[in-house]
Amino acid sequence: MSFEIINPTTTKELLSVVKNLKRKKFRFGAGCTDLLLELRKKPEENLTVINITQVKDAVFTGIKKTSKGLTIGSRVTAHNIVMNEEIKRNFPVLHEAALNLASTQIRQVATVGGNLCTASPSGDIACALMTLGANCEIINENGRRRRIPIHDFHTGVRATALKRGELLYSISIRGNEKNKKRIFSRFIKIGTRKSMECSVVSLAYHIQTDIKGKIIHAGIAIGSSAPTIRSTDSACKFLAGKNIFEISENEKKEFAEKVVGYASPISDIRATAWYRKEVLYNISKGIFEDILSNEE
Amino acid sequence: MFKELKIIGKPTPKHDAHIRVTGKAVYGHDIVLPGMLYGAILRTEHPSAEFTIDISAAKKIPGVVCIITADDIDTNNISYKRDHPILKKGEVNCIRDEIAAIAAETKEIAQQALKLIKVKYKIRKGIYGPFEALKEDAPQINKFISGKFQNKNIAETFHYEHGNLEEEKKKSAAIVKRRFTLPRMTHACMGTSNITASYNKTDGKLLLYSSTQVPFLYQRDMAHALKMNPSDIRIIQPVIGGGFGSKLDMYPFEPICALLSMKTGRPVQIIYSREEEFIASPTRQPMIIDLTAGVDKKGNFTFREINIVKDNGAYTSWGATTPFVIMQAFSSLYKVGACMFDATAVYTNNVFAGSFRGYGNPQATFALERMIDLLAEEIGMDKAEIRLLNANEKGETTGQGLHYETCGHKECLETVITKSKLKTQKSEVSKHSSKKSTQKRFVSGIGYASMLHVGGGAKIYRSDGCGTTLKIDPYGYCTIITGSNEIGQGSETVLAMIASEELGIDLKKIKVINTDTDIKPWDVGVHASRTSFVAGNSLLGAIKILKEKLNKKANELLKTSDEEFEYENGFIKSSISGNSIALDKVVREMHFSHPNELAIASYFYEPSSQVQNKEYKGNVSGTYAFASQAIEVEVDTYTGNVSVKNVWVAQDVGKVLNPLLLDGQIHGGILQGMGYALSEELLMKDGKILNPNFHNYKMLTASDIPEIDFFPIETNDKQGPYGAKGVGEAPLIPTAAAIANAVCNALDIDIIELPITPEKVLKAIHKNI
Ligand SMILES: Cc1cc2nc3c(=O)[nH]c(=O)nc-3n(C[C@H](O)[C@H](O)[C@H](O)COP(=O)(O)OP(=O)(O)OC[C@H]3O[C@@H](n4cnc5c(N)ncnc54)[C@H](O)[C@@H]3O)c2cc1C
Repeated sequence: MSFEIINPTTTKELLSVVKNLKRKKFRFGAGCTDLLLELRKKPEENLTVINITQVKDAVFTGIKKTSKGLTIGSRVTAHNIVMNEEIKRNFPVLHEAALNLASTQIRQVATVGGNLCTASPSGDIACALMTLGANCEIINENGRRRRIPIHDFHTGVRATALKRGELLYSISIRGNEKNKKRIFSRFIKIGTRKSMECSVVSLAYHIQTDIKGKIIHAGIAIGSSAPTIRSTDSACKFLAGKNIFEISENEKKEFAEKVVGYASPISDIRATAWYRKEVLYNISKGIFEDILSNEE
Repeated sequence: MFKELKIIGKPTPKHDAHIRVTGKAVYGHDIVLPGMLYGAILRTEHPSAEFTIDISAAKKIPGVVCIITADDIDTNNISYKRDHPILKKGEVNCIRDEIAAIAAETKEIAQQALKLIKVKYKIRKGIYGPFEALKEDAPQINKFISGKFQNKNIAETFHYEHGNLEEEKKKSAAIVKRRFTLPRMTHACMGTSNITASYNKTDGKLLLYSSTQVPFLYQRDMAHALKMNPSDIRIIQPVIGGGFGSKLDMYPFEPICALLSMKTGRPVQIIYSREEEFIASPTRQPMIIDLTAGVDKKGNFTFREINIVKDNGAYTSWGATTPFVIMQAFSSLYKVGACMFDATAVYTNNVFAGSFRGYGNPQATFALERMIDLLAEEIGMDKAEIRLLNANEKGETTGQGLHYETCGHKECLETVITKSKLKTQKSEVSKHSSKKSTQKRFVSGIGYASMLHVGGGAKIYRSDGCGTTLKIDPYGYCTIITGSNEIGQGSETVLAMIASEELGIDLKKIKVINTDTDIKPWDVGVHASRTSFVAGNSLLGAIKILKEKLNKKANELLKTSDEEFEYENGFIKSSISGNSIALDKVVREMHFSHPNELAIASYFYEPSSQVQNKEYKGNVSGTYAFASQAIEVEVDTYTGNVSVKNVWVAQDVGKVLNPLLLDGQIHGGILQGMGYALSEELLMKDGKILNPNFHNYKMLTASDIPEIDFFPIETNDKQGPYGAKGVGEAPLIPTAAAIANAVCNALDIDIIELPITPEKVLKAIHKNI
């Protein structure tokens, strides 16, 4: 594995580097925790890696509160997410996803952008962002920007909506509902060991209710269960208007079935499709038990 | 009886801790010799095939200095059965098989050239299960064995028995039979396999920087392989990045590296990549254990009947001899009236196993301790009680002839049973008061297991001895030249502590020289948890001789006639007159005045143990170590995940020499045992390894370490240095068994296979519903 590396330090420089390289073979590199593995497996000749970690750009590298919610630069690391109090308080699902990613060392370098752009079905940060109805801001070599909902960002296994010359600039998430009084928000990651684990199945939920527990808004997504991360919209709809503390056994089952309906897992050396579906069903049902037991 | 000890028993950091943590330690990977070439090995793509090879294109690459295939070398086969050719000719039998090797100016050139070697394979079906290999019509897998067994694919057999099996069967109130299946686990040492060879064409001498655990056996094996004189081979051990038994055998890459150096006349280095390490380094012996056992109505164990089939892989390693240890567990852990043991190692086209911490004992203990729970259930007896009833005792001589001069088995069991009950009863209460609703999802269980292992070496060669040369220099510094070697376990530190204790010399003034076969006296090597015991006793022997010399001079200088002196803070003090003299001064007087003698002594220690007879009977070790573990787990019935909550360990260590290093052995061992129990398995399909990386080979990490409560049990064995026994392997041995028992206790399921993965647990829960 060998490649050229270019280290732009401003956004302008970055875009002009992209422009210059547009007809050549190039890749963006952020934390490179996915990129290096990929290049080791499939070495490419005459490749240039554009290192985007040296670019000084407040939006690109920062987490910022806005009137509508929060903007997270795509160069923000998992560690930055973990340390952010605003996220910890209002979007625990995202905090937990970042906290359980790999290990302390990897979290120092692994970025939000890398997690989304690598488009792995087991991307934890991407899965959490799905429950928050995030929007992706994309920039091209001419500085032109466009926004797409995260639902449209992943187009297949390891495929994204990014066109040649485009890069992910930032992600924005809506603030929680104004009239919401409570949030139930968690990232459930299933695997064999507690660190350095790639999810065998994951379930992210971000549910907002009024003071009594009536569900106002629910975002639920699953990872490692289909070619891409899936938002389980019908399961979310099913919950709307129900009281989160009073979900009946039958409703739990129906809900879990709806979640599993979005899964089309494969069998590989880490788990069989049977296991993935079974666990997904169990933990989907388990959401409400978790919530109740934490109430006590 | 014992005088008060100043250093022994006190937490003392490792002798080499500073160089290790600052990155100053020189591992094999760091060695660079002038003019050194980089070696690389071409391995087969198919586990069973015939092949032809064409190296002409690779040879043309600038920077390629030498390429060898089987046709270019004149060597003997390796392995203790001599059934393993160094480079394979015309046919391959497992996915590790070496078919060519390159020495080049750079690593990159070597890798590039590897790709240009053209190999044409004629793929054969291959045999990937031992039972399949035993069938009449199976082809012969290894063509190099003498064929002394009935079946052409049998590599080795063991038979052992004691007692009257039929009578004991009649006495039994319950008899249980199970088939236990044990996986391939690999050592995954932090430092990958490496060697640097430097052959000197002018004098015909070969220098090897090798991370072997057994330098003197290695020297002999290397000489045999290369048709050289052993003494023309010098082995230097750089700092070793993990052994755990993996470096007991010599593997083909080592003589290959030597051959490349001999051919080129330049130093050559081979270092495995991590992937190569997973594929080409050994594993724990996978095996199938059929165990039938009985118990009488009072709970006394009556008999054990064992039939083991081991997947030997394509070649034989020391791992094939693990039944030596396995049979000890079955014959002698807990009292048992009769034992009938058979084990067969069968060739397959899988990768071959090697030796691994515990040497078969974790496999045996898993089967045995699971069986004890099943027997207890069968007669409705408490699982703690049945163990205490049958526990080994001091003074016992077992059916196999192991003599327990000291024995902490009962105390170990009592300790972990009491301690675990205290804690689990408390947590039971708190669980009821809170989190009611989650109780169904998470269920807890507790399991017990014990182990027996050699604690004073193991006499499986003619000698289990170790030599020491000890010297004190005119400045009062002490050098210990020991036959034993350091592979990270901390033996250097313990030896320095012993010298410091006995000679009153500050630890900082003690050097341990143990890395060079041209210098150090003979020793078998690091295995069988023997180093502190054997090398410690050897050092004590040398100290005794040296002290006699020093005492004589001190008497002369102090004009006293003491029998005993106190050695303290660099001084030798007369216990009668109270006068003292500096140690360095005594040494100078010895050296520089009449009759001009060196302050040097040598001693060879041979343990009192016996080589076992043909029936595998005899007292094979200087002493025996015992341990018990109680483990509490919590099982998530939604996911099948097993979380180890608490581990209580009591181990008969004889005497604690260094609590800090002992704790390290306990913690490391338990985590390794947990990996064996829950997550580690080298997955194979049709002879190929599916998970040669840490991503999918699930070694546990620091985040998985549970609460560990360790209770050392001191039985002060008079054979051991200060009463100590071997401790290194024990902590891992009963862990998987205790975890399996705990999971079965939690879920009411029957686990007969490792690792206990979440998926297997969930499937078992489903079967139960
Ligand atoms: C040991 C280990 C453990 C891991 N554990 C986890 C885990 O638990 N959970 C998890 O989700 N992931 C895990 N990963 C995967 C990886 O760490 C994450 O996906 C991480 O977020 C990737 O970020 P990065 O900055 O390293 O991406 P990089 O490797 O730098 O990039 C990944 C891909 O995205 C592209 N890219 C990066 N940034 C941009 C951008 N701004 N615009 C356009 N394209 C871009 C790159 O070209 C590349 O194709 C693990 C990886 C390793 C090596």
